Amino acid sequence: MKLIEVKNLEKVYQSGESKTVALDGVSFLVDKGEFIAIMGPSGSGKSTLLQLLGFLDRQTGGSYKFDGKSIEEYSEPELARIRNEKIGFVFQAFNLLARSSVYENVRLPLFYSNVPETAWDSKIKSAIDAVGISHRIVHEPGELSGGEKQRVAIARSFVLDPEMILADEPTGNLDSKNGEMIIKLLDELNRKTGRTIILITHEESLAKYARRLIRMKDGKIESDIRI
Amino acid sequence: MTTRHLIKTALTALKAHKSRSFLTILGIVIGITAIILVMSIGQGAQDLILSQIQGLGSRTIVVIPGREPSGPSDVAQIFSDSLKEKDLALISRKENVPNAEKIMPIVFGGESSAYGNETYRATVLGASADVFDVFDIYPAGGVPFSESDVRGRQAYAVIGSKVKDELFGGSEAIGERIKIKEKNFRVVGVLPKKGQVSFFNFDEIVLVPYPLSQDSLFGIKYFHRFIISADAEKNIARVVEDLQATLRNSHGITDPKKDDFFVQTQEDLAARIGIITNILTLLLVSVAAISLIVGGIGIMNIMLVAVTERTREIGLRKALGAANRDILQQFLLEAVILTCVGGILGILTGALLAFGVSLILSQALGLSWTFSFPISGALIGFLVSGIIGLAFGIYPARKASQKNPIDALRYE
Repeated sequence: MKLIEVKNLEKVYQSGESKTVALDGVSFLVDKGEFIAIMGPSGSGKSTLLQLLGFLDRQTGGSYKFDGKSIEEYSEPELARIRNEKIGFVFQAFNLLARSSVYENVRLPLFYSNVPETAWDSKIKSAIDAVGISHRIVHEPGELSGGEKQRVAIARSFVLDPEMILADEPTGNLDSKNGEMIIKLLDELNRKTGRTIILITHEESLAKYARRLIRMKDGKIESDIRI
Repeated sequence: MTTRHLIKTALTALKAHKSRSFLTILGIVIGITAIILVMSIGQGAQDLILSQIQGLGSRTIVVIPGREPSGPSDVAQIFSDSLKEKDLALISRKENVPNAEKIMPIVFGGESSAYGNETYRATVLGASADVFDVFDIYPAGGVPFSESDVRGRQAYAVIGSKVKDELFGGSEAIGERIKIKEKNFRVVGVLPKKGQVSFFNFDEIVLVPYPLSQDSLFGIKYFHRFIISADAEKNIARVVEDLQATLRNSHGITDPKKDDFFVQTQEDLAARIGIITNILTLLLVSVAAISLIVGGIGIMNIMLVAVTERTREIGLRKALGAANRDILQQFLLEAVILTCVGGILGILTGALLAFGVSLILSQALGLSWTFSFPISGALIGFLVSGIIGLAFGIYPARKASQKNPIDALRYE
């Protein structure tokens, strides 16, 4: 089952006179349930690719089909709905709301969902439980370690059972021990529930958890191998 | 996002910056306070004036010499000598004005009255014996003068309570002689404390029979007013018409536009005063409204800062599934909550201040002032503050909603 079809995807950033080509004709297919690691030096276009795949931005050329439908066919509220229901994001900088508890942070996507409010509590608690921070549920991000913060972010990313989780260098701000724990969590999510996971990382040791490795350079795919 | 969660989210954001939120709404608080204060005082003033007019009785009709003033340039017309003895005789005839129950001519003016070494500048009111019934005021000590005293040109005076205090202090006034313009009057009665009734303050008045005051005090052959009471409320219009017809006939006037007198009912007067106080209130309210606009601009300014500060949060919310509309609603609601809270605080402060003013006016100045809370003003004030939140919140909220999630997330 194809989840993603990318053909000749291009992204050019234009600021005044200068043009920056971030993606220069990228094509690949992703099946449901894959665990892909994307690697490459900074400026190779991997973050841009992830943002396009996550409907956070629009391409300037080529085509992107998600679940058989192209991004052009969606309106702005529909894109918001897809981001809400089908895609979970994990960021390098955690992006948790300060002055809100772990519980409230994991609850955030539910505000924008169609899930009836009576079902919220069990969803939130089971997500927090799955990442092993139930004992921190009332704490605010300021009181958590980096590893704990990222686990909250992961719980938030799958609280609505998305098809796909996009993780942009989730271990970038963590030490190797915590980093490995986070990747293991993602691996578990992939194996247990068959969620598609696309992970950007700089570390070969973490990339080996994935089943497929895409290497990028200068906005192009350099290699795409199954491991 | 459900409304309940929208409100909760907005409140959380506002509570995170309590002092800033408070300073932001100060402009709205002051604006609404001013509006409530002005409206309350305006209403109080109107009530006060109307209650004084009503002291005359609703069946009372006043004929005033001169053309009805229609503007400031007509002021001179107020001083006119068009109401003569002949007119009084004509309107007093039953066949001319059948529904008139009482007809009383009056003359008045400020004159010095003296007793021994004491002098006091009182309002001398020359009237017929009906004056006591018409103004519903009777001597507390002594007796009123009678119609035969009036016709007999008796030099009798009934004096107000303040006149009595000023001239006689604690000693007995009845039977004493006071001097007004070199003419001696015998005090036959002293009025109780009454205050303002219609155009006269009866505490500062000296009542004397009118024919005598006309020639001995004022040296005039005309009247300042005719005060007529209709026999029934339903006949007021009829009496007005009869008065007009009789006086026009007497003055040889065919075109009502050229009338040298005008007839005023208590209803006319109340309506006129209502219009004047309403215009004044409106004027002051619109001045106060300017501060609301200033307050609104302050809100817009702070909301713009908040949007920039929270760019990252906006990006995150969008990545997690917030549509543009959700972000717009969130920021708009924050602005509306701010202004509505400002409105409520303003209404409370305004009411409190107006109550304070009413206390000062009634206690310290002795006016019969009643505090009135302008309910319509409070509703309008609340509504207006909500509208200001919408009007000045929409621009920052739109700006927030249109942020690109990527740029927003990248923002440091």
